Amino acid sequence: MKAIANICGVQPEGFEKTDISSDPNFVFKSDANYAATQLFDIEGNTVFVNSYLECQHYVMGGWDYTPLKNAEILLQESLFYVVATLLVVTFFKNVAARFLIK
Amino acid sequence: MKTKKIRTLTLLVLVVAIPWFNMDTSNDYSIPKVSQEDTSFYEVNPCKISLAEFLLSNPESIYQNHFYFRPDNRSSIQCFGRISGVTVLQKNLETQFFISVGTSSLINLLLQALIWTVLFSFIPQNKELEKIKDTIRYKNIIILLIAYLLTFSVYAEGRFYEQNMYLVDLQVIKTYLLIFSLFTLLVKNFTDIFITRSENIVNYLPFIFLITGLFSGFNLTFFSIIFLYYGLQTNLIGVKNRVFNYTYITISVWWLLNSKGSAFFNIGKLRGFTSSIFEFNANLFWIVFTYLLIRGIWRIYLLNKESFSLSVFTKNLSITSGILLLFGIVSANLPIFNFINYYVLGLQRYGVESKTPFAFDEYSVKISWRGIFPSSETVGEFYGLCLLFLLFYIFNSSKITFVNYIGIFTASLGLYFSDNRTTIILIFISTLSYVLVLNRSLIKINKLKVVGFFAIIFSFTVIYLAQLNTSAPGYEFMSNSITSKALTFQKEYAVSSFNSLISGLESSHTASILFGFLSFIGYLLNRSEMWGLFVARYNPTFNELLFGTGPLNFGQLYGEVPVNSPDSLLLPHSSVLSYLVFIGLIPLTLLLVIFLKDLYKNRTNVEFIIFSIYISINIFKNDSMNYFSPFVMYAILYLILRNKKDSVISEKLFLEK
Repeated sequence: MKAIANICGVQPEGFEKTDISSDPNFVFKSDANYAATQLFDIEGNTVFVNSYLECQHYVMGGWDYTPLKNAEILLQESLFYVVATLLVVTFFKNVAARFLIK
Repeated sequence: MKTKKIRTLTLLVLVVAIPWFNMDTSNDYSIPKVSQEDTSFYEVNPCKISLAEFLLSNPESIYQNHFYFRPDNRSSIQCFGRISGVTVLQKNLETQFFISVGTSSLINLLLQALIWTVLFSFIPQNKELEKIKDTIRYKNIIILLIAYLLTFSVYAEGRFYEQNMYLVDLQVIKTYLLIFSLFTLLVKNFTDIFITRSENIVNYLPFIFLITGLFSGFNLTFFSIIFLYYGLQTNLIGVKNRVFNYTYITISVWWLLNSKGSAFFNIGKLRGFTSSIFEFNANLFWIVFTYLLIRGIWRIYLLNKESFSLSVFTKNLSITSGILLLFGIVSANLPIFNFINYYVLGLQRYGVESKTPFAFDEYSVKISWRGIFPSSETVGEFYGLCLLFLLFYIFNSSKITFVNYIGIFTASLGLYFSDNRTTIILIFISTLSYVLVLNRSLIKINKLKVVGFFAIIFSFTVIYLAQLNTSAPGYEFMSNSITSKALTFQKEYAVSSFNSLISGLESSHTASILFGFLSFIGYLLNRSEMWGLFVARYNPTFNELLFGTGPLNFGQLYGEVPVNSPDSLLLPHSSVLSYLVFIGLIPLTLLLVIFLKDLYKNRTNVEFIIFSIYISINIFKNDSMNYFSPFVMYAILYLILRNKKDSVISEKLFLEK
């Protein structure tokens, strides 16, 4: 819920939540009072939403990423690979040195 | 050798400096000065400006005391070394600027560990590296076990770490894999360094008062790795200590079974040596940690007791004392240095802000000044200890070096600044006693003992009679001071069991007289308020009173009984009371018996007697054993001094090493 408020903004007055999943042919209507918002998924794909309802629907479906969040996840993954490489080097440097001397 | 040291030092300076130049090169910002009216630039552009750029645009922030640089551990990796936010606060007439600097916790692990490992490498290597063969057995297994244990601590204290990590999901295994690999890397590199320097660890112990080694954003002390390593090794290679093992394991079972519920504790300045939550997993971690720490201390003592050198130790005490004082003064005057000190030295608390260590309050009472150490009383204890060891060294060797002079000057000044009056008196009495005992030819030792004993008895009798005859209500008032303070703190609907126990004692009862006397001592030591607050909070069951609730865990004490508490966190101000909560009355009494037995056995060992009395009085009235540095140093010094039957310092070898 916090993510929705952060990304989509304050819920408009009189907003009624619609169960979209039960209607596969549902078409989102644009809200003239709602400023278009750009959303991202985990892979960096992007979509623009034009109403609070649409925004809420997408965020709940996993489009709650931001470029910053994606960059952080990427950096954390990179950090893991760097550390793993360093670990291999530190643990096996002595073994390698001994092997080379032989 | 010298070139190598210079190269290492250059590397260290680069490692410390480079991260704060992490700038956003994709944009060209025109950085405005921060002002009371407008901080919008920093609100719009968080994590865009590096700390170095900020300092260039706001040079006054380097030296003006209303700037406060604070690490923001809950920031992204990209934000490391950048300004993540600026907050303006108005305190009376002063406008304060709090500048948050991005310090991602994950990067802190790597960077701070690198800094401390490099610093540790300045300790001289062992003379005979062949001898370390014993200490490298099972090395890789131990490294993995330590990394696992430290990762487990993150899991166990998840609530604390959630507040200190950015976008790290502590519910998924992937996160722990990353943390585990980080810990493995730093433990591995540090182990390789300290194992080859193991002989000198004891001599360089004073430096842990300067470099505390706390990871920013973590509740872990870097230097505990050494003790965990040796602690684990003693178990793997089968060094036996059955009595301790069985006793500890038995009590641990009780502690774990008793770990019900959940009570969060704001660790504050105790970070690194206390649990942030009273829960099963956290209790399990701290039980294992304490066990390994104690065994590690014992192992280090066994391995290094012969390499302890009083001259090197005293020299290092003097150097540490000088640097502590210098850094304290610089930190108080330069906000940016305060931040760098906090980060690089891994401090528990930001350096003191008061620029004037000579300051007095409006009632002409000296304001205690702690420098960069978290507690003024504990740092006073350290300066006192420095003077005490200088005394032992100078009197026995009849030598005094330039570094010793620095030690005497800075420790005396630091002790005065800290305003630890008990330590000042103790050092005075210790010096007198030591000089008297050393001059045995002038005063016969037996006569001295008899005269001293009767003098003490006579003094107590006179004080008691004087109180009884002239101001009887005075003693009564003082002996009730703790209970009356406890009453002011307790809420009507929540009375602690300890408070009920004490209030219920009949006045004629022996326990009541004993507690009255303790209360009287507490009054004299200005501890009535703190101990009264403890009584109002301490709510043990009968078994908890006897066996405690688990080591280094204040969660239950601070989370169970609501009190009319002062705003700030007030610790019990007595390590004895803290350990009563941790381990209970029975183990505490056992420790007291062992201590008294040691005192009796070593009665001819003057240095041990003086050191033990000095430490025990301080422990009784201070929280020092709740900090990692004093705990480790006192324990090792106690063991080293204890097992020298006679006046150790006069042994030639001990001095000349």
